[in-house]
Amino acid sequence: MIEILQWTTLIACGAAALSRIPNLVRKKNRSLFYVLALMTLAILLSIQGPYLVIDGLLGSTNLANLLLRFIIFGAIYFLGIRIANGFGDERGLRLIQGHAGLAILAVISVALLVLFAFMDTEGSSAGMMAVYARDERNKVLTEYYGAAGRAYPAYVCLALLPAMLRAVRSTLPAPLRISALLLAIGGIAVILSLYFQAIPPALGYLTYVINYTAILCFVFGLALIWLAKVRAGRNTMDRTGRSAARS
Amino acid sequence: MPLPAKAFQRWLHGIAPDTSTADVCRLAGIKRTTLAQQLVRGKVAEATVVSISRAFNANPVSSLAYFETYRDLAGPQVPPTSHELVSQIATMDLLRAVIARSAPAAESGAESRGVAGVAGTPAPEHPAPGGQPALSPAPHATSVKNWVDAIDDGELRHRVSAATGIAPQNYSAQLTANRMAPEVAIATSRAAGVGLTGGLVATGLVTEAEAGWEPGARQAALDMLSDADLTVLAGDRLQSLGKTLRRQEQDHQQAEKIWENLG
Repeated sequence: MIEILQWTTLIACGAAALSRIPNLVRKKNRSLFYVLALMTLAILLSIQGPYLVIDGLLGSTNLANLLLRFIIFGAIYFLGIRIANGFGDERGLRLIQGHAGLAILAVISVALLVLFAFMDTEGSSAGMMAVYARDERNKVLTEYYGAAGRAYPAYVCLALLPAMLRAVRSTLPAPLRISALLLAIGGIAVILSLYFQAIPPALGYLTYVINYTAILCFVFGLALIWLAKVRAGRNTMDRTGRSAARS
Repeated sequence: MPLPAKAFQRWLHGIAPDTSTADVCRLAGIKRTTLAQQLVRGKVAEATVVSISRAFNANPVSSLAYFETYRDLAGPQVPPTSHELVSQIATMDLLRAVIARSAPAAESGAESRGVAGVAGTPAPEHPAPGGQPALSPAPHATSVKNWVDAIDDGELRHRVSAATGIAPQNYSAQLTANRMAPEVAIATSRAAGVGLTGGLVATGLVTEAEAGWEPGARQAALDMLSDADLTVLAGDRLQSLGKTLRRQEQDHQQAEKIWENLG
């Protein structure tokens, strides 16, 4: 079940990234392509099979997991800036790009590196499950490491959430409001991921559901904005065509 | 709540006994799938009855009166108040009237005084000049809201909300969107104690003539307005139009910005 969810998300995200290639060539909103490409890579690294292959190439010390965390940070940072800019959210932009945001990013990154260094990370395993199960010390370290990895995305989403909810209730065109709603749901899912430690092991699948829901919401939200733009672009062309015909 | 399908079938049989459903749809300009869907769901839209009535030369208001919900539409109706009539004049027609009234004053050498100058001179009645263009037919872009404003004594919205169970904010949202369900329009008329057809005209479900309004009644009501009343009314309309346009422009800019960054 979870495998299906993972691969579906991978395909959706990969397709979204591919659909940006024409814009990439035209040099329009290139960072969105990079964000989606990074997200695709992140999903790939979160799936057991590809993870083992890539981590094998990196020396089987779970370095790929550390890489995954920083890929997510990069994607969420650039996506956050884009969204804040697009929705005119000055406050969110300051929280992400300002001194406070960068300081938080730096602290969390250092914490990740330090925790990773203190762990016995020998032996590839997706999500570092094997490391977690090794002994009490590694278990605690992995928990903190995971929490640190989820903290920064949650911070960015929390910064953007008010603007998203405002946009949902605004008088913007319906597709944009639905997009804002999807982005808000994705953001809430990411924020919920902060509480993963509170989820009992029996309900472990919930962590997957929440993670991939977040990604799917982001991908579909962005795709909807793009579709609305294409449609609106055609409408304006119609209108200018008609008024030109009239004059 | 739309009309029950059974009653609709009975009504349709009465008005077009020998016509197939396909022909009814073709004559009335309704999509067959639309009507089929409404029949399957057991809820036929009032607009469907209106279209079919027109196709078979029946009065839509009398046709609606066939149904339980609209029983009170049968028989002679209370004529619209002058406020209601004026509310169904488009903003641009009101502005045109302002200009038409101030034009003679401007010609008589007082160009700089304009409308403000004319407003000071008592001129209670203006017969429509021959060259004046006819008013565009109701409804107009803000006719629903203007209609409710015209019959509102300050407590109307609360009474409608109590009578229909619609939350006041939803009712306001409908007015802003220039929409109102026919049933709510009737309830609004009832709560305001005015003729029942006013809301049906304002929502565009039926025409003025179908509602039994006198031809030229709106023009007459407009001519009855004093210069001051007309100017204030036109000013109010212009102000709310400005607000609407401002919001649209802001939304448009916001959408452009989103597309620029995320499209």
